[in-house]
Amino acid sequence: MNVLGIGILFSGGRGISSFKNALKAGWQRPEEYDIPSINKKTPAYIVKPEHMADNVLLKKMRRADRFSKMAVPAASDAIRDSGLDITKNRIGIILSTAFGAHQTTFDFLDDIIDYGEVGVSPTTFSNSVHNAAASYIASALDITGPTLTVTRFFFSFQSALQLAQTWINDNRCDYVLVGAVDVCGEVMRYIFDKKLGTSADGKIRPFNFNHPSPPVPGEGSVFYLVSGKSSEKAYCSIADINFSSDFKYKEMPDIDIIDSYGMADGKAYLKSLFPSVPVAAYSPLFGSIMTGSAFNLTAGALMIKKQMQYANPVSDNPDGLNLLNVCGPAKIDLIRSIGCNCLDENVIIYLRKAGIQYHI
Amino acid sequence: MKKTDVLITGLGVISAAGTGISATLDSFRQRERNAGPVSIFKTALICPVFEVKQIPDEFIMEKNRTLSLALYAVDAALKDAALGNLAGLRVGVCIGTTVASQINDLDFYKSYRSSGEAPMEVADRYLKSNVAEFIARKFKARGPVLTVVNACSSGTDAIGAAFSWLKNGLCDIAIAGGADELNLVPLCGFSSLGIVNQGLCTPFDQDRKGLNLGEGAGILVMETEDSAKKRGASSEICVLGYGASADAYHLTAPRPDGAGLETSIYKALSEAGIKPSEISFVNAHGTGTIDNDLVEGKVLGRIFGNDIKMLSTKGFTGHALGAAGGLEAAFTAAGLREGWIPASIGFKNKDEEIPVMPVMEETKINGGLALSTSLAFGGNNAALLLGRL
Repeated sequence: MNVLGIGILFSGGRGISSFKNALKAGWQRPEEYDIPSINKKTPAYIVKPEHMADNVLLKKMRRADRFSKMAVPAASDAIRDSGLDITKNRIGIILSTAFGAHQTTFDFLDDIIDYGEVGVSPTTFSNSVHNAAASYIASALDITGPTLTVTRFFFSFQSALQLAQTWINDNRCDYVLVGAVDVCGEVMRYIFDKKLGTSADGKIRPFNFNHPSPPVPGEGSVFYLVSGKSSEKAYCSIADINFSSDFKYKEMPDIDIIDSYGMADGKAYLKSLFPSVPVAAYSPLFGSIMTGSAFNLTAGALMIKKQMQYANPVSDNPDGLNLLNVCGPAKIDLIRSIGCNCLDENVIIYLRKAGIQYHI
Repeated sequence: MKKTDVLITGLGVISAAGTGISATLDSFRQRERNAGPVSIFKTALICPVFEVKQIPDEFIMEKNRTLSLALYAVDAALKDAALGNLAGLRVGVCIGTTVASQINDLDFYKSYRSSGEAPMEVADRYLKSNVAEFIARKFKARGPVLTVVNACSSGTDAIGAAFSWLKNGLCDIAIAGGADELNLVPLCGFSSLGIVNQGLCTPFDQDRKGLNLGEGAGILVMETEDSAKKRGASSEICVLGYGASADAYHLTAPRPDGAGLETSIYKALSEAGIKPSEISFVNAHGTGTIDNDLVEGKVLGRIFGNDIKMLSTKGFTGHALGAAGGLEAAFTAAGLREGWIPASIGFKNKDEEIPVMPVMEETKINGGLALSTSLAFGGNNAALLLGRL
């Protein structure tokens, strides 16, 4: 399965060029946002309204909530980025999310509290349903293939990619827009802060495995246009998606990317790494997002396509790992992406340069 | 009969119509409609709902009704499939839901708003409650895991996803279906949309006035023929096809021409190389709303002809949202296995705008192919083709 196009919206901007620039620029201090109920400001990687503004796309979805308005531009950009003119009834959509449009659900609860059960807004309710964003994508882009919204917290995006592969194999569609979307509203920032604390300096330290540093919540959306077909503009192939606790290298990658983000005990990552392979984690650029693997994989896809490596944005390294700390041109054929949760559940995804065969 | 590699070796259901498939079929035969006012939470809204009256004690998860319902149905399906210990087997779990995926605890949010001191156990509970993850961990299933949140077609789509996993060799067995609890948020939401019936729902009837909400769980154990053979299991019921498509039309209303649903049905049929004329009956989505039943009825007439045997089981269960597709797939499988379908309860008078008419009595089924359809918020359409070998 090949990644033919990518659309991305994150705190640093919209579009793959913005993300590339962020990778080059390295860590930037995130802005602080209010949590009014506890009268506190905490850092968070929040998407700026100007980056979501799109008069053409949003014209058809004026009543949509923030979650959907974040999803549609990234999905549209993924198709545009591929440069392909695609038959829309042969595209499927799989949108993955950890928490869905939770802020809209809280808005609906506001309605119940403030106006009573008969005074609630049907529009708010409709937007709070998990699959509203995928519906807006279908309408905005006139896509009539299978459309699915899925969730599995930390493994949402990887599971969506796995399903997309089966859809292509089964000829359910020729292309699939596979995405990850998560917003970080006020209540979510409160939950983060109360349960895990928030990194005071706004810095996520993804390699502090034994004493995890506090997270910095984030939000954004990433969409891939994937297909069994290839194109000259393809980023990479997704060679293997493997949910298992077996970290044995089947092929030695050029770079490992880990989905560590300061939210949980990261010791499982230590078991997964090999000393000679440089490791990177890009969560300090986009925040502690459960669906952050989509952003990390995007960094990997860019590195393979551009044959360019990007240094870790934050390189605190208490365990003396072989960190990827140099930016610049590099020969990169294979990248291994690793996601681990605190229950010893893991996923490994191999990205490889399009056209290169490996026995994985 | 077309060849399939995916058998249904176990069924587990719980809804207002009954706890277990046998009790449910009895309920269908007796034409019981176990609806009443909401009793499981406080509400000012007065309308009949289809609550599950009793979940067996051993499956109750405190403050997590959806998981309790799912646990019962999964356990029942595994027992039906004679699957005890899943160790060493490649088992995937794919379950649809709506309510369980949302952080919608009103007391939590009220506390947050009023004092900035919300109880974190609500967040902890939520983080442990992804339905498919929970079931996979509980039963030590080691295959792919996914919770589908596709509104009212979630259960059907979850079965469709599991079907793809099995066809692609990602697992040998899949626990798939849907689970959802009755909850204040969708009750208020659907009421605000003006589609909740103040009386009992009457799917496809000319005087239909909307839906009744329900709850439950419907789970299938799906299994490759090889896997079943290896462990000495067998089944004459199978999954033959799945089709899904988007309307790309409106967030809450179905596309008036039904093109999305029609595409889904044809995709499911073509996956198995089946002609519409070979279908014995259709278990329709049939919510009892004006729009759904009109669009669905027209599409079914167009594809299968006006004499197709069809029904909606929502008159027995209410609309169980994310569980609906799982329940209805299980009822469809049971219909094929038993050779009969129940009366489409609630239907009395034909709507002249709808070309098809649901069955009004318990009806014998000849032939071995049936379809279960789902339409959802967001314009999702899904169809499952089941067969009897």
